[in-house]
Amino acid sequence: MVLLRYYINISALKRASNEPGMRLNHQKAPGTGTLLSWEEIRREPSVFDDRCTRTTLRGRTMDAGTGNSVGAVRRSKEDRKVLRKQLKASHTLLKHEGIRTTPQPTKTLVVANGGLGNGVSREELSAALGEMGELETLIMHPHKPYAFVTYRSEESARKAHVRLNGEKLECRESSVTLYLSYVNSVTCEEEVSVPLPDGLVLVEDFVSQEEEAVLLAAIDWSSTNDDFTAKKALKHRKVKHYGFEFRYDNNNVDKDKPLAAGIPQECLPFLERCVKNKHIDILPDQLTVNQYESGQGIPPHVDTHSAFEDTILSLSLGAMTVMEFRHPDGRLVAVVLPGRSLLVMKGESRYLWTHGITARKFDTVPARGPQSPARTAPDLSACSNLTLSKRDTRTSLTFRKIRHEPCGCAFPSACDSQVAPLAPPPPSPPSLPCCHADAALLEEEYVHRVYDAIASHFSSTRHSPWPRVCHFLSTLPAGAVLADVGCGNGKYLGVNPEVMAVGCDRSSALVHICAQRGFQAFVSDALRVPLRTASCDACISIAVIHHFSTQERRRAAVRELVRLLKPGGRALIYVWAFEQEYKKQRSKYLKEHPEKHSPTEDAQTGSSQEAHGESSIHTSRRLEDLQDATESKLSVHTNRTAFNTQDLLVPWHLKEGKKQVDEESREGERKDETKEKSQKTNTGFGSGLDTSAKPSASGDTTPTCGSALKSESEISAAPVFHRYYHVFQQGELEQLCGQEAGVTLQSSYHDQGNWCVILEKALGTDL
Amino acid sequence: MKLLTHNMLTSHVKGVVKGYPLLIKATEVKVNEVDFNPQFVSRMIPKLEWSALVQAADELGQREDLPGELVPEYENNEEFLKKVHRVLLEVEVIEGVLQCPESGREFPISRGIPNMLLNDDEV
Repeated sequence: MVLLRYYINISALKRASNEPGMRLNHQKAPGTGTLLSWEEIRREPSVFDDRCTRTTLRGRTMDAGTGNSVGAVRRSKEDRKVLRKQLKASHTLLKHEGIRTTPQPTKTLVVANGGLGNGVSREELSAALGEMGELETLIMHPHKPYAFVTYRSEESARKAHVRLNGEKLECRESSVTLYLSYVNSVTCEEEVSVPLPDGLVLVEDFVSQEEEAVLLAAIDWSSTNDDFTAKKALKHRKVKHYGFEFRYDNNNVDKDKPLAAGIPQECLPFLERCVKNKHIDILPDQLTVNQYESGQGIPPHVDTHSAFEDTILSLSLGAMTVMEFRHPDGRLVAVVLPGRSLLVMKGESRYLWTHGITARKFDTVPARGPQSPARTAPDLSACSNLTLSKRDTRTSLTFRKIRHEPCGCAFPSACDSQVAPLAPPPPSPPSLPCCHADAALLEEEYVHRVYDAIASHFSSTRHSPWPRVCHFLSTLPAGAVLADVGCGNGKYLGVNPEVMAVGCDRSSALVHICAQRGFQAFVSDALRVPLRTASCDACISIAVIHHFSTQERRRAAVRELVRLLKPGGRALIYVWAFEQEYKKQRSKYLKEHPEKHSPTEDAQTGSSQEAHGESSIHTSRRLEDLQDATESKLSVHTNRTAFNTQDLLVPWHLKEGKKQVDEESREGERKDETKEKSQKTNTGFGSGLDTSAKPSASGDTTPTCGSALKSESEISAAPVFHRYYHVFQQGELEQLCGQEAGVTLQSSYHDQGNWCVILEKALGTDL
Repeated sequence: MKLLTHNMLTSHVKGVVKGYPLLIKATEVKVNEVDFNPQFVSRMIPKLEWSALVQAADELGQREDLPGELVPEYENNEEFLKKVHRVLLEVEVIEGVLQCPESGREFPISRGIPNMLLNDDEV
């Protein structure tokens, strides 16, 4: 028996060490095998589970087995496995959460893996727990991989412990294995009620279900070209205007050109009710209808002062959502907008706070109960009565009154009518360039200058080579000549010491980091690489081409890579994908969300990912033009959320020297302590060691993972840089490469939020 | 910049036909000690433009007795490989310029790094 246990431990160790990114914590608690680090737990919420075989333990009893001896051995082996996992869970809870479990039965249990952080909803868990007895309380903190349940009687708790420990709980589209342990006390925080922004009023049940149906039916979406797939592909909310056109290119209204269609008659009863209840004095004359599918949102904004009068009415139909209000001083208030509720924005909430809806598929909201408030505390940790709410299609009707005189509000800092005399006008967001010169200027401002400024910080966050890139590099024959175009900090130059690797990058600061690490690199542009034609056996371009701001330049970058290749040579290209979720898998970029609102699991099917790169170009309806107009002004992306547009500016928060959570670790940043080959001094050419060179800069050592829990205001205090990206849709990279002569597509895949291709240059080509 | 890298670099100034090899004018050269890997060196040789390597070594005064032509059956000629190893991997230009042989355009080498960026009008 002792031998058997030893065997199990060893194989678990082996499995664990073979998995990429797995670190073994060598501290062992008595009676347990290997422990997983907090990193692994955070990445893999159900890490308490046995990864390899899921044994269904239904019908298992704790009694000694009956029947043949083989059956008895098998049961007790499973029992021991469950016990082992439970102990492991207990130990982890103690180590990382300070939760002390006790072997003595109590009324309260901690349920490992039964947390909001595992994608388990309150309803699902309480249903399972409720079968064991009457529940007194169920506490689920957001983003935690556990819950606390207190039963009315210890008897019920014991029943739960016996029956549910090691059992699978089927949730929506995933399942978790629960491990229960007794606890003496529960860590609980007080609920804090947060006031709504000044001037904001929420009225629930403002329209009846019948009225809701009538209003939804009144919106005629058919006049817009019904290219359903294109819309899905672009993941944009649908928009329709009545009364006056709202223009997204200047964020204002064409007051001289009223639309043919005014506000639909069906809205009159609703509007009359608003007047009667004193929400407005004057009837609005402009209506904007937004339809949000799950996963869609709208970036934070203030409705243009000069376009509309003070009061803005917004009616939510079809589904609930969470709208976030942000004050310039950093305060964030998340407001739950139930279906059929009316939101009235006036004064400060209309003129100063921005409002937006984060594009996501699940919201963390207070559970329905007698005292569940409509609004939540900004960081939700103060509220323990929470559950996950899956988004559904929501249609909002926003009614506004056109303003004909300049705005004279009390919030000049946000007012486009009242320009502060001495302050320079705020820089207008850049637009997409239409010629090379403009493109070069845009890239200079939003790519090159940024990388030079953030180089060392950037380099410190780019230390883990991606496995599939490494694989490509490892397949190169010894003595191959490799060019890394856009080599950054030289991350890949040392991966295969058998090849002659040379890197080039546009950022002199990053190239210097390569040199410090002993690699050969030079400064150049990816569009004009000063290497001879057909001089390379292989090229890689990892996360580079998405920085080019026109399709022509992106194509030119591909062409340059192809030029460098010898006939038969191969190029590997990685670009950031518009679709951050692929085949149900969210990319690491999305998973590691520093804000506390995002769900950690998503159950949306992959079918909605079928993007058709072509169709968005061909549709030419006016609404599409509006969307294009929106896109031609580059908007700033919210880090770690799904993309709304393909061309965008991505923030980089610079922190000098300190530990910094990599806010956009779209790479598999494991932040581990594995010694990298590149940190050893070497020539970068081969296994020859450059012993007289300086040792690799200490700045390259991997910083340990800092706390992810920075408050909003902390983040906003650090300098922010914006990098331009054109994120690629599915198929777009293939198409781009397909246009190049003399090269064939060897392979095309999605890797952690990137679209990737391997190209091979045809033999007998002369370029 | 090592001479192995130099061997691959070319001038890409607009309109230039014969931009290779770039002339080296060095003000600071270092000779490092690098572990000798005969297989690696031997594999590099077919990828080189031999005459350009010799010319570059000459310009730096580091040629020593490197032959003007490739020695036949060099794969097992350790003495020869060592000479090649030295010139390819141990000699390093720290400060200087690379000059386009046709246009005369100079590209600076600073702290071992050549800056090959062209101005807009040269592209």
